Amino acid sequence: MISKTFSKETKELLREGRVLISLIIVILLLAVAVFISARQYQNINEQYKVAQQTERANWDNQGAKNPHSAAHYGTYAFKPKYPLSLLDQGVDKYTGTSIFLEAHARNEAQFSAAADQTGLARFGDLTPDFILLFIIPLLIILLGFNTFTKEREMGTLTLLKSQGISSFRWIWGKWLALFTPIFSITFVLFLIAGLVLSNLKDFGVFNWSTLVTMFLVYMVFYAVFINMVLLISAKAKKSGIALVIGLSVWIIACLVAPKMATNFAQARHPYPTAQEFAEAVQMDKEKGLDGHNPWGEEAQQLEREVLAEYGVDSLSQLPFNFDGYIMQKGEEHQAEVYFKHYNHLKTQYGKQTQVYQTLAVMSPFLPTRFLSMSLANTDYGTHWHFNDAAEKYRIAAQKLLNDHFAENSEYGDWDWKADANYWQELPSFEYEPPSLSSTLSKNTSNVVLLGGWLVLSFGMLFLTVKIK
Amino acid sequence: MITTKDLTKTYGGQIALDHLNLNVKAGEIYCLLGANGAGKTTAINLLLGFIEPTSGSAFINQLEVHKNPKATKHFLAYIPENLMLYPSLTAVENLDYFSGIAGKKLSSAALKDVLEESGLQPDAFDKRISTFSKGMRQKVGIAIALAKDAKVLLLDEPTSGLDPQASNEFGIVLQKLKTKGVATLMATHDLFRAKEIGTHVGIMKDGQLKQEFVVEKITLSELEKCYLDTMKYEKESV
Repeated sequence: MISKTFSKETKELLREGRVLISLIIVILLLAVAVFISARQYQNINEQYKVAQQTERANWDNQGAKNPHSAAHYGTYAFKPKYPLSLLDQGVDKYTGTSIFLEAHARNEAQFSAAADQTGLARFGDLTPDFILLFIIPLLIILLGFNTFTKEREMGTLTLLKSQGISSFRWIWGKWLALFTPIFSITFVLFLIAGLVLSNLKDFGVFNWSTLVTMFLVYMVFYAVFINMVLLISAKAKKSGIALVIGLSVWIIACLVAPKMATNFAQARHPYPTAQEFAEAVQMDKEKGLDGHNPWGEEAQQLEREVLAEYGVDSLSQLPFNFDGYIMQKGEEHQAEVYFKHYNHLKTQYGKQTQVYQTLAVMSPFLPTRFLSMSLANTDYGTHWHFNDAAEKYRIAAQKLLNDHFAENSEYGDWDWKADANYWQELPSFEYEPPSLSSTLSKNTSNVVLLGGWLVLSFGMLFLTVKIK
Repeated sequence: MITTKDLTKTYGGQIALDHLNLNVKAGEIYCLLGANGAGKTTAINLLLGFIEPTSGSAFINQLEVHKNPKATKHFLAYIPENLMLYPSLTAVENLDYFSGIAGKKLSSAALKDVLEESGLQPDAFDKRISTFSKGMRQKVGIAIALAKDAKVLLLDEPTSGLDPQASNEFGIVLQKLKTKGVATLMATHDLFRAKEIGTHVGIMKDGQLKQEFVVEKITLSELEKCYLDTMKYEKESV
């Protein structure tokens, strides 16, 4: 009976003009979105490669100079574009693509894609994740809103009931008929994405298991949506009512709930403004050692301690250049200040994320959105991860430069220059995004919530829809 | 095959069916005559298990419908006044689906044989139902009953709105089913058709079965007179 109902529903869907038109529109939109995203992905990665090589060449060829001058000259950490960002661009557009790494300061990522666009960017882009998260659920509603109501309206329900149809098998048949086109469209999209990405050379590490995991996440999301649409169709008296309720659910689940969650999370755990943040950092910096100010109280204290430790009377008697040493100590103090304040931001981000995850009970869209971005490495968490890695690299680079200055020059000799080849000793910035297992472990609550939605919606559908 | 014992249905204080006692055996065609609201459709819906009786019982093949809703449906087929099928599917596809959900697996050739047996023209087999007349749809309904190999056939005004030729063809198919031992209960307004194809006739009024006849023992004019007398009595009583 399941296969008969599946076959009958599929024939009806395919022979109905509105369904075919909807399917064709979605497939065309997906094709355009994938094409645009693939081009963007390739362009950005090519730019990334060129920028990285150019910047490294600039660093390596800066010539003989004082290491602290080189520290101020600085370099860049470029955020790579990850393969699955082809499918879900997440917050990449807004977070910036590169961080300037210099002495004394932890800089924010800059050159975000959104900053390069006009006000039209406010309308958003046609991307695969837009189709996957917004349009396909809408397609499910368009395909399925009258799945049960049409049986009542056409009068076929009476004949079905007299044939002794089983509710369970009937619902399964209809469920599969609705799921199959959605599965097929999404499967083809993911397969094409997988084939394109696995054939691109030199651009990030593509991993089929992550792609399959992302595909499964979307399948669960669509299954939940199908369950909701079928439940509405079974309970509504007319197709028109079912359509209106279905669209209302879509508006609430996909549009209202995420915005409500954002507003609520921001109101509950606000971020400091950029000015407040900068002022707080500056205040804490001033409370500690400044490597550029040897007359400061903390510098004088450090000087006394070092002289006592080495049992010498003057800084020039030290076996290293105190100027480099104090620079490093100042750098360490500033790094601690940044660590403290960025940790506060991360705590706020963590609390906001918790609010989101709590509110995900309102809509299956929220856990799907977070899981998708996380798997694509385009979420805010990955951006933090990249930021931390860049900061770690900056601290290590500063230490390398300051130590080289301290160990190879004499106190007061600011004219001392490191060899022109020395800069090559600084290792390149290599960033590894979170692994699949780490991503899934961080998203346990999202996985559980989405699973909960699946079980609940299936339960509601099969336990409450009965044909008598 | 079809039995009702004091079958009663009330809606609020309104009696729709009042202590109906019927017995339709295999190979019999029992025609229920009566005006609109006489209780004919209520009786059929109770036999189908679509509604629950207020009191009394309905039996299909000796199984009580209310207690065995699934099992009783296994034995019966139903054709309503307006048989609605899936308009975008062909006759063969509709038959395949409806017989399939009743648990029957028929080959494409067997499906066509059944459609032919129901009197549908072969050139209509692969046409979409949306192009079918009511008579053609009723034939597909008969085919669904044939494919199911139903022992009991419940018909609710099946010839209403059919042209005389289609109505006649429908009657011929019912006669064939009668010879196969199918027990048929048909609610109808059509005295002529009831006399022509029925084995038994019952006249209903106000939810009650007022009179019963064995068709071969009564002429059409007598049946007509009895029917009109019952209706006249109804008018006078009003």
